[in-house]
Amino acid sequence: MKNTRLHTALLAAALTVGVGTAQADDFPSKPLTLVVGFGAGGSTDIQARVLANVLEEELGQPVNVVNQPGAGGGVALTRLTNSQDEGYTFAFGTSMTITYGPLATETAYQPDDFRYVAGVTLGQSAIVTGEGRPFGDSWESLIEYARENPGTSYATQTALDRMIIEYISQQEELDLRIVPTSGGAGMAPLILSGDVDFAYSGGTHSGYAESGEMPVLLSLAEDRLVAFPEAPTLREAGYDINPAEIRVVMVPQNTPDSHVERLAVALEAATQDERFIEITEERILMPVVYLPEEEVTETLRSQTESYKALLEELGGVPDADE
Amino acid sequence: MPELSAITSAFGDALTLHSIGIIFGGVLLGYLVGVIPGLNRSVAIAIAIPLTFYMSAYAAIAFLIGLSKGTAAGSAVSAILLNTPGEPSSAATCLDGYPMAKSGQPRKALKIGLLASVIGDLLSTLLLIVVVIPFASIALKFGPYELAAILIFALVFIAGMAGGSFLKGMAAGGMGVILGTVGLDPETGAMRFTFGYAELMEGVPILPLVIGTLALSEMFVQLDEYRRTKGGNSVRLGNNPDDDLSFSEFKKTLPTIFKSTGVGAFVGALPGLGPSVGSFMSYGLAKRGAKDPDSFGKGNPNGIAAAEAADNAVIPASYIPLFGLGIPGSVSAALLVGAFMIHGIQVGPLMLRDHPQMLFTLFAGMVIASLVMLAIGWYGLRLFAKVTDVPQHIVIPVVIFLCLAGIQVQGYGTFGLLVVFGFAIFGYFLKKFDYSFVTFLVAFIVTPMLEMNLRQSVILSGGDIGILLQRPIALFFVIATGLMVLHLMWSSYRLYRQRRRLLSS
Amino acid sequence: MTPEPHLQRKNLWSGLGVTLFASWLLVWLIPRYGGSGISFGMHPQRLATLGAWVMFLCAAALAIISLIQLKKQRVPLIKAPSLTVVWHQAWPFLYVLFFISLVIFLPLTWLAPFIVGTLVVMLGERRWYIVLLTAAIPTAALYLLTVHLMRIGVV
Repeated sequence: MKNTRLHTALLAAALTVGVGTAQADDFPSKPLTLVVGFGAGGSTDIQARVLANVLEEELGQPVNVVNQPGAGGGVALTRLTNSQDEGYTFAFGTSMTITYGPLATETAYQPDDFRYVAGVTLGQSAIVTGEGRPFGDSWESLIEYARENPGTSYATQTALDRMIIEYISQQEELDLRIVPTSGGAGMAPLILSGDVDFAYSGGTHSGYAESGEMPVLLSLAEDRLVAFPEAPTLREAGYDINPAEIRVVMVPQNTPDSHVERLAVALEAATQDERFIEITEERILMPVVYLPEEEVTETLRSQTESYKALLEELGGVPDADE
Repeated sequence: MPELSAITSAFGDALTLHSIGIIFGGVLLGYLVGVIPGLNRSVAIAIAIPLTFYMSAYAAIAFLIGLSKGTAAGSAVSAILLNTPGEPSSAATCLDGYPMAKSGQPRKALKIGLLASVIGDLLSTLLLIVVVIPFASIALKFGPYELAAILIFALVFIAGMAGGSFLKGMAAGGMGVILGTVGLDPETGAMRFTFGYAELMEGVPILPLVIGTLALSEMFVQLDEYRRTKGGNSVRLGNNPDDDLSFSEFKKTLPTIFKSTGVGAFVGALPGLGPSVGSFMSYGLAKRGAKDPDSFGKGNPNGIAAAEAADNAVIPASYIPLFGLGIPGSVSAALLVGAFMIHGIQVGPLMLRDHPQMLFTLFAGMVIASLVMLAIGWYGLRLFAKVTDVPQHIVIPVVIFLCLAGIQVQGYGTFGLLVVFGFAIFGYFLKKFDYSFVTFLVAFIVTPMLEMNLRQSVILSGGDIGILLQRPIALFFVIATGLMVLHLMWSSYRLYRQRRRLLSS
Repeated sequence: MTPEPHLQRKNLWSGLGVTLFASWLLVWLIPRYGGSGISFGMHPQRLATLGAWVMFLCAAALAIISLIQLKKQRVPLIKAPSLTVVWHQAWPFLYVLFFISLVIFLPLTWLAPFIVGTLVVMLGERRWYIVLLTAAIPTAALYLLTVHLMRIGVV
C-alpha cells in the first residue's frame, strides 16, 4: 500500500542509525516483523505474539507482530511474496493457506513462492458431533445412520473440510446437507443445540474435552488427537487423505540461506521455550513440534499433490458444482 | 449461571489502575466531546476506534463504552450553558436548563443534570447486567431459524422507528444489506463485488465506512450549517453563593429521576429508538405528571432531571440486545460490534460462554465508568464550562484532519482516503435527504450474520417453509414482522392525513 | 410522509435517484459482479438482489406518493437550488478532495498543518496564534503517533 510513502521521510530519519551496516553474517541487525494473516485475538495471533517475544530474546532484536487478516491468511501471504526484506519480514501461519488456498481460489501466491523455515505446531482439527445423537459418537455408526437418513447435516467452515466431506460422501454414497458456518463461534451453537448432526472443528472441541459435550468422530490430524485418543484418523477410517494442519514460519523464496538458517536455529530454541509451550499446549491445546525445513516442505508438497488429485476425482473445485 | 468468584475476580480486573485509567480516559474524552457542540458521540467513537487498535480487547471496549457514556453526560453542559445541545438527545435538557442558567443558577442546573445523568446511567447499567445473563442463556438455545427471524424483525423495526419515514428507512437498510454482502460468499467462496481487490475479500472494511459516513460527512453537514448559525451567548459560571444545589432540592428531583430512568431504559432496550426519543418522552411524561406543568420550560429542575436521566439511561440499556442477542440497536452499539470484530470477538450470547471473564469485567468497568463520570463532572464543572467556548470553526477543521489521519495511520493509503471520501458523500446524502442512518449501519453490520443464518435455515430445512411450524419462536417473529410492516404503513398514512388536515385548516 | 411541499420535493427527487440507482444495481452490477456458483442454499447474489429490490420498491413508492401529493397541491415539481447554495455545499468536498489528491505526492504529515490551518482561516479565524496552534498541535500528534507506530513496527 501507499502508506510507505507517508513514512519515507520518517523512516529515513528514524532508521539511519545502524541500517547501512547490515550484512548477511550479523543477521539480524535491525528489528524484525512477524506477519500474522489473522486478526488480533485469534489463536494464531495469540501464539504469534508469544513466539515473537521468545524470538526477540533468541535473535537479540525486537520482533514486532503485525496483523494482516483477510482471505484465510491469503492477504498476508500475497504481501509477503513481494517482500525484498531478506528475512527481516517473515510470516507465521497455517499450512492450509499454502496448500489448499491456491487450489480453491485464484491467489497471487503459489506454494513455491516461500521457504518454510520450520513447522512449530500441529493442528488438532477434527470432525465432531454433539451429545446424545442417535448415532452415538462413533464414525461407523454415523456413516450407517447417514446412509439410512438422507439429509443428515454437516457444518463446514473451510473449503478444505468441505472438499473432504464431499469426497467422503461420494465414497460412502451419502446424501448430506452441507451447511456453511464461520469459525468455531458459529459452529459450536449449531452442534450444541442439535440443529446440525456433525461438523468440522478447527480446535473448539479441545475446550469441550472435559465436559464431553463435543465428542470427536474423526481426527483430521496426521495422528490421533491428544485430547481424544479414541477417535480414529482419516487414514484409519479408510480414506487416503492427510489434511494435517501445520503451523509454519515462512519467508519469501529469495531470502539468503544464512538468514533462513539463523531463523531456524532461533525457532528450534523457541519450540523448547516454556512460555511458547505453555501458551500452545495449555491454552490453544495443540502440541508443539519442531519440523525442519526439508520435512515441512516435503509434507506440504505431498499435501498439495493429494488435494489436487482429490479435486480431479471430484471433478473440479467442489464449490463450483453440486 | 456465573459463580460468585468469577464476578469478584472480574471486579478485581476492572479495578486495576490500568483499567481505571483507560475508563477515565474514555469518560473524560467523551465528556469533552459531549460538551463541544458539533462533535457528537458517533463521530467521536468512529475516530477513536483506530486509537483502540493498539489496546487489548477489554481496554478497547471499556474505553469506547466510557466514551459513549461520557458524551451523554457532557452534552448537558452545553445544553444548559449555551442553549445548544452537545448531542441531539440533550435538546430536551435545553428546555429547562438554559432558562435556569440564565436566571443566575447555572451551577445548580449543571449539578442536577450531572446527578440525574449518573443515577440514570448507573441504574440502567445495573439493569443491563441483571437482564443480560438470563437473556443470553435463553438466546444461546436459538438456532438459525430463530436468529434469522429475529434479525429480520429487528431490521424492519429499526427502519420503522428510527427515522421519519419507514420507506426511506427500508431503502437505507437495503443499501446496508447490499454493502454487507461484499466479500467472499460463505457457502460457495465466490467473490462478490470485490473487483479484484484482496482488501475487499473480507467485506467492506468497517473503519473507512464508519469514518466516512459518520464522521467526515457530519463535518460537511456542519460546515453547511455553520454559516447559518454563528455565535451563541454562553452563560458564565459566577461566584454567586446562592447558586448551588442543596440536598433537599436534589431529593425533590429523585422521583423524577427514577421514573425517567425507567422510561429511558425501556426505550433503550428497543432497537432503533435512540436517546432523543427517550429524553423527549420522559420530559413529556414528567411535565404531564407534574403538579405545576406550567413551570416546565421556565427552569424547573425536574425538567432537567427527566431529560438527562433518560438520555443517559438509554445508552447502557441499548446494550441489552447487543450482548443478549448480538443485535446492535443503535449507532454506537453498531460501532461497538465493529470494535469487537476488529479485536476478534463476536459479540452476543456466545460471549457468556466463551469470554465470560471479559463480559463480567466489562460490566464491572461500566459500573466504574458511571462513578468516574460523577467525579469528572463534579470536579471538572468549571473546566467544562470553559470548553463550551471552543468555537466550531476550530473544531471542524481538526476533526476533518483526524478523519483523514485515522485512515492513513491504519495503512489504508490513498486508496483508503478515496474510499472514505466516497462514503462521506454517501453519508452526506443520507443525512441531507433524511434517510435513516441507523438502519443503514445496523443492516450493514448484521448482514453477514443474517446471511449465514438464512442459508443455514434454507439448507437444513431443505427449503421447506413448513419447518416454521415446529419452530414457534421463529414463526412468532416472522408473523410479527409482517404485522409490523402493515402497522407502520397504516400509521404513517394516518399521520399524513392528520398533518394534512392540520395544514389545510 | 409529510404534506409540506419542500419535503415532498426532497422525497420525490431522492426517491427517483434511489430508484434509478437500485435498478442499475439490479440490471447491471449485481448480475455482473455479484458472484457466481451454484449452491444448495442461497445463490451468492440472492441477498444483494433482495436488498436492491427493497431499495427499488421503497424508493419507487416514495417517489410516486410524493409526486401525487405535489400534483394535488399544484406546486411545481422542480425548484432548482440557487448556485450559491450548491457552491456552499460543494466547496468543503472539493477542499478535502484537493488535499487527498496531494497526499499521492506528499506525506500526510507535511500536509497536515495546511489542511487544518487553511480551513481555520477560511472559516474566519484571524488571530494568527490560534491558527498556528490549531495547525501545529494535530500535526505534532500525528508525527509522534507515526514515529511511535513505526518503532513498534505496525506500519
